[in-house]
Amino acid sequence: MSLLLILVPLACLVVLNLHFKQGFIKGAFWLGLLVILAQLAVVALLPTGLWDMRFNPLECFFHFDASVDAISLVVILAVGLVALATLLCAEHLIKEPKKKFYFVNLLMLVLIGLNGLALAKDLFTMYLFIEIAAIASFILIAFRKDPLGLEGAFKYLLFSALSSVLMLTALSLVILFAGGTSFAAVGPAVAASAGTWPARLALALFVCGALIKSGVVPFHGWLPDVYTAAPTYASVLLAGIITKVSGVYVLIRLFVSVFGFDSRIDAAVMFLGAASILIGALAALTQQNLKRLLAYSSISQVGYIILALGCGTPLAIAGAVFHFFNHAVFKSLLFVNAAAIEQQVETQEIDALGGLSARMPVTGFTSVIGFLSAAGIPPLAGFWSKLMIILALWQAGQSGYALFALLASVLTLAYFLSLQRRVFFGKLVPGLDGVREAGWGITTTAIILALITVGVGVCFPFVMQGLILPIKALVVLP
Amino acid sequence: MILLWPILVPAIAGLAVLLIPGRAKYLREAVTLIASTWVMGLAFRLFPLNETLKLPWAGYGIEFALRLDSFSAFILLGAAFFGLMIALYSTAFMLGKERGNQFYSYLLLSVALVNGAVLANNLVVMLFFWEGLLLAMFGLIRLGSPEAIKTATKAFIIIGISDLCLMLGIGLTGYLAKTLTMSAISIPLSPLATVAFVCLMIGAIAKAGAMPFHSWIPDAALDAPLPFMAILPASLEKLLGIYFLGRISLQLYQLVPQSWLSYLMMIVGALTILFAVMMALVQKDYKRLLAYHAVSQVGYMILGIGTCVPAGIVGGLFHMINNALYKSCLFLTGGAVEKQAGTTDLAKLGGLGWAMPLTFGAFCVAAASICGVPPFNGFFSKELVYDAALERGWIFYLAAVGGSFFTAASFLKLGHAAFWGKKRVGVAEAPWPMLVPMLLIAAVCIVFGLMNHWPLHRLVQPVLGHARLEGQDFAGLPRNLFLIVMTVVVLAGAYLNHLFGVKKFGSGLKAVDHIHYAPGLKQIYDGAEKRWYDPYDLGLKLADLVARTGYFIDRMIDWFYETLAPGLALLSSRVIRWAHGGNYAVYIVWILVGGSFVLFLAFR
Repeated sequence: MSLLLILVPLACLVVLNLHFKQGFIKGAFWLGLLVILAQLAVVALLPTGLWDMRFNPLECFFHFDASVDAISLVVILAVGLVALATLLCAEHLIKEPKKKFYFVNLLMLVLIGLNGLALAKDLFTMYLFIEIAAIASFILIAFRKDPLGLEGAFKYLLFSALSSVLMLTALSLVILFAGGTSFAAVGPAVAASAGTWPARLALALFVCGALIKSGVVPFHGWLPDVYTAAPTYASVLLAGIITKVSGVYVLIRLFVSVFGFDSRIDAAVMFLGAASILIGALAALTQQNLKRLLAYSSISQVGYIILALGCGTPLAIAGAVFHFFNHAVFKSLLFVNAAAIEQQVETQEIDALGGLSARMPVTGFTSVIGFLSAAGIPPLAGFWSKLMIILALWQAGQSGYALFALLASVLTLAYFLSLQRRVFFGKLVPGLDGVREAGWGITTTAIILALITVGVGVCFPFVMQGLILPIKALVVLP
Repeated sequence: MILLWPILVPAIAGLAVLLIPGRAKYLREAVTLIASTWVMGLAFRLFPLNETLKLPWAGYGIEFALRLDSFSAFILLGAAFFGLMIALYSTAFMLGKERGNQFYSYLLLSVALVNGAVLANNLVVMLFFWEGLLLAMFGLIRLGSPEAIKTATKAFIIIGISDLCLMLGIGLTGYLAKTLTMSAISIPLSPLATVAFVCLMIGAIAKAGAMPFHSWIPDAALDAPLPFMAILPASLEKLLGIYFLGRISLQLYQLVPQSWLSYLMMIVGALTILFAVMMALVQKDYKRLLAYHAVSQVGYMILGIGTCVPAGIVGGLFHMINNALYKSCLFLTGGAVEKQAGTTDLAKLGGLGWAMPLTFGAFCVAAASICGVPPFNGFFSKELVYDAALERGWIFYLAAVGGSFFTAASFLKLGHAAFWGKKRVGVAEAPWPMLVPMLLIAAVCIVFGLMNHWPLHRLVQPVLGHARLEGQDFAGLPRNLFLIVMTVVVLAGAYLNHLFGVKKFGSGLKAVDHIHYAPGLKQIYDGAEKRWYDPYDLGLKLADLVARTGYFIDRMIDWFYETLAPGLALLSSRVIRWAHGGNYAVYIVWILVGGSFVLFLAFR
């Protein structure tokens, strides 16, 4: 049944490109919207029993082992939300109907890739879906065919290629000692050959590849440039979900279900996570471009997730996945606000902005909610996930890292407050008198995402019961 | 209930005076005089009685308890008398001075507070009235001149700090005795009791004006209105301070002559006598000179009570009332001189004896009393103190006698400089409201001297009671002939010293210059002029230093949070920003570095 998550977007893609293309150009948006809403409804409403039903119409052609556990559920939910946000943004930002049509197609492709990644139970399948999502994102980055976008797409292509090389090398090593690439095969093989160099090298290389995709220091060089170069609706998708799933989720899967926790790699991962937090936050302090600042902020927040991942305890993994979800929501929210500003003011330079919340109240207010969540202020969602991460670090004995994570929240607050003050608060810059609030799509998206952030934070006990505790049960320590 | 009247009458009158508009001529003076007379009448009426009053007040053993015994009645009478005299004097002195309302109000309030303090039978009630005097004192000093606020603050702080010690002492006493009712407390000496006693003693002697709590009195002499000097430091505060000292030495604590507390009191007394009189010797202002003498005379009282022998205690208490009499009289003459001649600078005065004969007469009587010339009252009380001091140690006797020598020298100088010489024109005798108190008090000085059995039998000796007196009676002439001879010798010596000085330096004012500019003393006097030894000024300098240090530390903390930390963050931010230049090669090198790091850690 979970296979439908891949098959439905595929079907939609096919349908859209059938002969009756002309008719579908206008309706593409609504079809895409329908698919995404269906995905969200499925995650929210369907009882788990239905997930396990085996339904594979194409069973005769290929065998695809797909199952949904608690982590995958969170990922699918996040994918649905961010895709929804992107679609609504693009509706307003892309003017030509033909381009909108292409955009919906690419979005479907991304959905296929990311859903497949969430469902995969085999290393090579994961790699396959990473590439599917990556190809779609290359095109999305260069969507406007402007020089900056093309350069950004090329940069992403190059670094993804680097990451692919590392992952494929690791895969070949895995086949060498495990004889197969499915989780079921690799897991016991690693346990049996624990400590031997093929297993460790494979893990190290795969981790490096995943770290490049997630944008962790020092593998992050491409990230600020690419986020800035991409059109804002693509940045929402990239920052909100693509980087996360193809990078961070892969790492989580590696550690939880495949290789288990190796203390040395864990130490390296924790250190790199901490370095990301620090460097991302410091770099964000003096940025002049709005999207670049948000990009560095992403690096910093991903650092938190990686830090928790390296810690390895069940609470830490649960915190990491929860922060993954929260970050998807608030980072998308912030990029949606950036989209609103770009649409209305047509600049991303912070120096040219000022006092915007007088003219764009919804954007201003929702950006406040977004950054408060990022900084970890109660009762918003970000507070709970950060709290879980810090508590998990403390309980695992990593008090130094815990204190560091706590203090880094000060830096987060610093750059976000500075951003907020310079862009939204204060006196309106003289040239911006004619600016009005963004279109209904963008503001609706912003409001929805803000409501989710606030709702998850306030109704945390329910979220805890439903989503977080099952994750804890998944993690089995060696 | 009658015990409440001495407190309520002046208090209500004092508040009423504040309400009287300035235009109503003489109304406030009338109210003040009526109130003072009434209090005087009450004091006489209450004198032979022994009453108590108990009202519930604050719980925890703090009840509003008043008690009238012989000691309280004695002080009550004295306070009422001085209140009336000074009130009468002030009607003339404060004429034409502004803010008269406040002056009379504070005056009456002081009388009310002193009455309350001496009548109190509960330590907390006494503390309440005692501290209330701080306000009256502050208010009165402030009225003197616009610059007087500094002296008022100084007095407030010095007496306030000693009152804090008093509070501590009261707390300890209450803890030791398990009750706060004064008539029920009698504590034997022990280490904790010693500490409590010292705290209480500090409070008492500071109020009376002993060293080292005295430095506000000379300043107030110049800044405050003169009747304030006559009533508070000269009379009421001495009465109150020595009253309390007597209470704690005689009743609350069981002091014995051999205890080191006794030695402490005697040393404090002796040092006060000597240092204060040495300072008085070189003053060039009428009022300042008198102020230092007020400090010095307290030393005799403390010395007397500190000896813990009957002669000394009787002498100390008798000296208390005598001192109040002649000191206030001397201040009143100073006020008369100030009002009539317009200045109290001794260099500018002279020849007033012919112009103001009655004032001069009162001055002579009071000066003779303070020097201890027989047959005035000062002689008798000083002889008792000498007797006790000699009994406890010859060095204390020497200090007391030395004090007398310098006292006599300085009053000869004062009298000569102010009243002797060519008749001064243009100065008239003081008005009668000022003359009457002066002459009346001078008369009482004579009476207390010639007929000293009356005050001793009726006022002072009942305080000790028969048991403590050990059957002795101190009325009449002193029995020890040696003491009388020594006194006469000392007085004669002072007179000769004065003649020598006048001959050498040419004027009465400079008569003691040979002492002032003597080799060792000159430096000390210069330092005193520059206020090196004033504990208040030293304390202020210390407080200033502490404040500066605190400010500096605060600046440093501010610098850390406002300059250093953000500066470092912004600097690192700019460095990182510069490093992300968009160069592919640089990024790939970073990846290689990161990869090596992971591999290195994986295979360590």
